[in-house]
Amino acid sequence: MIRNYIKIAWRNIWNNKLFSAINIISLAIGLSAAFVIGLMVYYEFTFDTFHQNGDRMYRVVSDFETPQGDMKNGGVTPPMRLAVREELTGIEQSAYFFNWWISESKAASSEQIFKDPEKIILTQASYFGLFQYKWIAGSKETALQKPNQVVLTRKRALEYFPNLPLTAVMGQTIEYNADIQAVVSGIVEDFDKRSDFFFDEFVSLETAKQTESKDQILSDSWGMTNNASQLYIKISEHSTAAQIKSQLLALSEQHVDADMIKYNNKRTFNLQPLADLHFDQEYGVYDYSRPEANKNILISLIFIAIFLLLLGSINFINLNTAQATQRAKEIGIRKTLGSSKIQLIVQFLGETFLLTLLAALSSVILSILALKVFDDFIPNGVDATLMVSPWFAGLVLGLITILTFLSGFYPGLVLSRFKPSRALKGELIRSENKGSLRKVLTVSQFVIAQVFVTATLLVSKQIYFMMHSDLGFRTDAVAYLQTPWEDQKVDKRLVLEQEITNLPGVSRISLGGMPPASHNMATRMGIYKTENQEVIQELQVLNGDGDYLDVYNIDILAGRKPLNDTIEEYIINETGMQAFGFHNPEDIVGKYIELNSNKRLIVGVMKDFKQRSLKTGIVPLVLTGDTGRERRTNFRTVHLVLGDKASGWSGTLAQIEQVYKKIYPGEDFKMTFLDQTIANFYEQEQRIASLLNWATGLSVLISCLGLLGLVIHTTERRNKEIGIRKVLGASLVQLNLLLCRDFLKLVLLAYLISVPLAWWGLHNWLQDYTYKTEMSWWIFALSGIGMVVLALAIMSFKTLRTALRNPVESLRTE
Amino acid sequence: MLLQLNHIYKWVKQGGKRVFLLNDISLDVEEGEFISIMGPSGSGKSTLLNVIGMLDEFQEGEYMFLDESVHTLKEKHRSKLYKEYIGFVFQAYHLIDELTVYENIETPLLYKNIKSSERKALVADMLDRFNIVGKKDLFPAQLSGGQQQLVGIARALIAKPKLILADEPTGNLNSKQGEEIMELFKELNQEGVTIIQATHSESNAAYGNRIIHLLDGSKQHQASN
Repeated sequence: MIRNYIKIAWRNIWNNKLFSAINIISLAIGLSAAFVIGLMVYYEFTFDTFHQNGDRMYRVVSDFETPQGDMKNGGVTPPMRLAVREELTGIEQSAYFFNWWISESKAASSEQIFKDPEKIILTQASYFGLFQYKWIAGSKETALQKPNQVVLTRKRALEYFPNLPLTAVMGQTIEYNADIQAVVSGIVEDFDKRSDFFFDEFVSLETAKQTESKDQILSDSWGMTNNASQLYIKISEHSTAAQIKSQLLALSEQHVDADMIKYNNKRTFNLQPLADLHFDQEYGVYDYSRPEANKNILISLIFIAIFLLLLGSINFINLNTAQATQRAKEIGIRKTLGSSKIQLIVQFLGETFLLTLLAALSSVILSILALKVFDDFIPNGVDATLMVSPWFAGLVLGLITILTFLSGFYPGLVLSRFKPSRALKGELIRSENKGSLRKVLTVSQFVIAQVFVTATLLVSKQIYFMMHSDLGFRTDAVAYLQTPWEDQKVDKRLVLEQEITNLPGVSRISLGGMPPASHNMATRMGIYKTENQEVIQELQVLNGDGDYLDVYNIDILAGRKPLNDTIEEYIINETGMQAFGFHNPEDIVGKYIELNSNKRLIVGVMKDFKQRSLKTGIVPLVLTGDTGRERRTNFRTVHLVLGDKASGWSGTLAQIEQVYKKIYPGEDFKMTFLDQTIANFYEQEQRIASLLNWATGLSVLISCLGLLGLVIHTTERRNKEIGIRKVLGASLVQLNLLLCRDFLKLVLLAYLISVPLAWWGLHNWLQDYTYKTEMSWWIFALSGIGMVVLALAIMSFKTLRTALRNPVESLRTE
Repeated sequence: MLLQLNHIYKWVKQGGKRVFLLNDISLDVEEGEFISIMGPSGSGKSTLLNVIGMLDEFQEGEYMFLDESVHTLKEKHRSKLYKEYIGFVFQAYHLIDELTVYENIETPLLYKNIKSSERKALVADMLDRFNIVGKKDLFPAQLSGGQQQLVGIARALIAKPKLILADEPTGNLNSKQGEEIMELFKELNQEGVTIIQATHSESNAAYGNRIIHLLDGSKQHQASN
């Protein structure tokens, strides 16, 4: 029986190649998307799920409430590491570590220097008590007992000592920042499962006393919080997170200091479950190079996959119910031969299953390709090897089953309902099924596709708007050159500036801190006191010399520039001026603002410009010179305006690099164009846009394939009618219109439904942006016209051919 | 008694008025009979065959098949009944185009859940009997009309029915092919299979041992023998 079904299913698929192809392609697109997205979801949701009693593990974090807004900090104040052991109850284990950023490290026995090495923490044996590593050499009890000891992972050990066997690595010495040494006292295996704890090098916490930041790491003061100081706890079996939280709350109340009261700040300690770590957006995780795992994006992706699968299913249902008449005879015969309804439904489900299976097989191959194509979008760890897992097999089988039932059940039901005596005579119960379900399904398909099209247009418009709107400063032909941050002195940089100034291709130059728009901004509290009140305001601080404003074309509205590069004089922006209660630029010039408890003179007011992406508004900001030069300089970046592009920038850039290499031999040359930096602000939007492009393209493709299938089907049935009409004198255009009209109506109806849906969704999306593009009417018009034109073109592919046919032929064949 | 129809009425509504397809039909059929139903187009021959074959329902009357009252049976029971006892032969053959000759003949056995080895034997016998062993792997489209009808009859016989219902079995065939088919029916009848055929042709009708004339859904009594 089964063999008979498979045989006839296969022959049916083969005999209707076009329809089978449409069905398989539509389903395969949805399935491939589902497979790739499934892999991503699986990947992101299986981070740090392997720790012993991981459900009882938490990170202790700090929440701040300030008049400027709330802040979340993933770190804790250093004394907390002792408090969780000595003062709190219900905690089984705890581990404190400090994320150690250093400028270089090397093995003592080797010449190779590792610049800015990452993944190094300062910690204690308790870290290895909480997080279980496999020890290759050494033991977790003794390895980090003394100062100047270090544990390496196998991977890191091989990087430092590529030529030594692991056993010989024990006892070797590693040098940090050239002045701190540590002896390798243990080697552990890297985690073989996915983890956000990606550290490779564990230096004993005692070593911290020899570092510059020893105060931060081992301080006894409760006043300071550094997000590099991380504290994890495992609560004991019989206590709850709520109990610990209430103790933490008491602890935070106990340690309120004078500054907090003065600035009206409030700090509370909180717990973050280990399971929340990977999707964390507020407290931060450790691997900055990894694109953030974003639950919302994953959820949108899942929706896209579901939509694509639905669209494919709809094609299947539509084409199969439309084709029902052709199968009516077979059904009639089978019924007279004794087939029951159930047996027929099973047979049709079997056919659907076979098609879905074919689609799924091609999808597995397609998804391997897709993983390559979407490389930048997909997290690095997601690759085809993840497919070899019971989980993936389950996903594939599950989807095949669901799709088979979703797509096959209704057509099966319709077909099996035919009365044999009538089906055999070829009179189908047309009155019962005018295809109204088909219409509903087609309309839903096009609603989905249309919403995607509209969204793509608007998101692109917003991106264009953000990238091309006036930020209030010069962005074209401006580049900046970053100098090595280890060099704390300004001297070499002044030489560098001087040498570059002499180059003919550079028209303006300035030495300063970060460019006006960047991700990295220092802030300070500014206090303006008058007789009866004081205004406290957070201020961003930019550093730049006298030419900075000229390089970036930022106007001064009142006052003047600071007298020289090192004097403590400040220029404030308009927003800052208003924040302190001034309306007229002239009024604030000459006033003093308290910064770090020192009174500082405001000498000028500059025009507002947009400091970050257009997602956020303009914030109060001051510009000053290199005020801390004697300790360490703030002038670490050379800003320059390049001359005419026609005269060749590449030559100029090469000259700048030469100069740079002369002054900083062996250092990386990091030159960035400002417009590129600004484009990078919108990386997330670009990713959304490219995702939308694909979703749109695929959903339009599936919907149009379905439309084509339906048009082919109905047009075939109307062959005779077309022949007669043609004989009676109908023109090609009239015939085409006649054939397309019914479907065009559906597309238009779908458009009408899509407009409010798209409007509502996009309106919500735009709320995240301070500066929004307009939701212009033409976006909606364009997307509608585009869809109608496309649908017409697709349909005409078939209808024109039919209309062109010689009527004599079609009338004869009937 | 194989089957008995008592005062069967079947109608459709057209503009609020009943149009009778079958009008007070009563018929007794004994096992081993060969009955021909005659009448012009639209007289209700096919409808009557469909009712007897349990493919169509009727509004009034009683239908007893092997002492089971068909009109009160549930769909499932009815299909079990005709699966077991009735075979159909159609004017347009109605073979499944996607299946080979062999598979077409095999299909009724599949629906009766007969074991694979037994199916093979039965189909082989049938192919043998109709001399179509050489054509078993061909598809219907590759056969002549007469050959297709042979396959159709083979398929109707494979499940060893007590009753064969044939709706104009020779309607699409030339006279020589038609004659062969009628001879075959006669042979089958002599082996004990009950046959009811609907036909236009007097000569074909003559193969039967009883002729029923239909006109506008009613039985005409003048010509019964």
